[in-house]
Amino acid sequence: MNLVHLHLLLNHVPTVGTIVAFGLLLLAFAKKSDDLLRGSFALFFAIALASLATYMTGHAAEAVMKNRPGYSAELIAVHQSAAFLALVFMEATGVAAWFGLWQARKPGGRSKWASPTVLLLSVITIALMANAANIGGEITHPEILAPGTRPSATSGALAPYALRGAQVRYYQFHHPNAWPTLEALHFIGLSLLFGVVLVGNLRILGFMRNAPFIDIHRLLPWGVLGFVINSVTGMLFFVGQAFQYIDNVAFHLKVLFMLLAGANVLYLTLFDDVWTLGTGDSAPATAKFLAASQIFLWLGVIYFGRMLPYIGGAF
Amino acid sequence: MESFFEWLQGLSIANWIATDETIWSFPLILFLHSVGMGLTAGVMFMICLRLVGVGRPLPVSSMRMLFKIFWAGFVLNAITGSLLFAAHATITGNQPIYYAKLTLIAVGVVLAVPLEKFVQSEGSDGSIPSLIRGLAAMALAVWVGVITTGRFIAYLQ
Repeated sequence: MNLVHLHLLLNHVPTVGTIVAFGLLLLAFAKKSDDLLRGSFALFFAIALASLATYMTGHAAEAVMKNRPGYSAELIAVHQSAAFLALVFMEATGVAAWFGLWQARKPGGRSKWASPTVLLLSVITIALMANAANIGGEITHPEILAPGTRPSATSGALAPYALRGAQVRYYQFHHPNAWPTLEALHFIGLSLLFGVVLVGNLRILGFMRNAPFIDIHRLLPWGVLGFVINSVTGMLFFVGQAFQYIDNVAFHLKVLFMLLAGANVLYLTLFDDVWTLGTGDSAPATAKFLAASQIFLWLGVIYFGRMLPYIGGAF
Repeated sequence: MESFFEWLQGLSIANWIATDETIWSFPLILFLHSVGMGLTAGVMFMICLRLVGVGRPLPVSSMRMLFKIFWAGFVLNAITGSLLFAAHATITGNQPIYYAKLTLIAVGVVLAVPLEKFVQSEGSDGSIPSLIRGLAAMALAVWVGVITTGRFIAYLQ
């Protein structure tokens, strides 16, 4: 099993998965069920996380395939920019779904706009994913084409030229301060995210006890803001310089730790354990274990991020 | 100044950090410096956001222990930062952006004193004086500046 294999496995998550989550969302509307709605939001959130890995393994697959006879580098490039566009909408859907889960935790409040936003974004995502998947299929399965026809792929609006790796690489170094600015933003996002991770998890661990956990609620979107800043800047690093990350063990571990930390966040949003903690209350052992692991996982993300040049030879 | 930088860089520990090729020298110190940044700036962001008015129901007094983390992170980064500087003193010591970073850190630390005094005070769960709000907003900008200038040190050589 290599990363190409992993791409072939993971590519079904954003395509099939989004359709399943969408079905669940429609069912939640039909049944007027808050539980189904939260289940659908959680699924969108999880798929959005996994899609980051799906996209990145695609670059690893490209590195293996593009020089083989019979494979079109142009078709791969078109598939990649179509996939990048779909990824942007997938991540937007994931963030909107997280806000829906977050709003549901607000005392007395449930958002009016979260469901329609997720609905709209997910419809667009499904269409864009189908487009990306279709082009992807043509790369390795010419048999899906009608006899005598050529691959349908073009670099039109659904596969923007501006999102190609070569273009992103050009922007990164066209201005001497572009790359350092992305780096500075990545570290500001890190601090914001890590600050929220510390405050939220320290309360669960038993510090800051005179705050009921629900009072931490308002700070959580700032952690998500940090995560969004770092996903955007991180993906820009990756898309422009994929060659230095795809075979980098430190990078694989960084992504793994990040996905585990993201999955850990779902526990916080889906289970009631910590939300009922009042002033002075102590959290159950499971919650404390997960809080400690959350801090550990983000330290791991920072460690392997910082080791990218030293373990894996990135710059 | 130049002779001081040369002396510093000539110390055996500085030489080891600069030339050792394992991940237990420069890379490890760099990682610890990043963690220290996450602790110092991360915790300060949270305190300042609350003082500016974000996350209102959260009692300000619950954030008292965060200053311990802030100062621990600061000490960690003063040590790791000095080691990183010593390893490349003759280069970094001649970069204006490095002195911009040091100045911003000094301002950030000076700002932390009145902010801590307010958070530790008896009345911190009452209304937040506009002076404290203003200082907190300044501190937010200052720590963003520290991170930005720090990051640029690596690229403006």
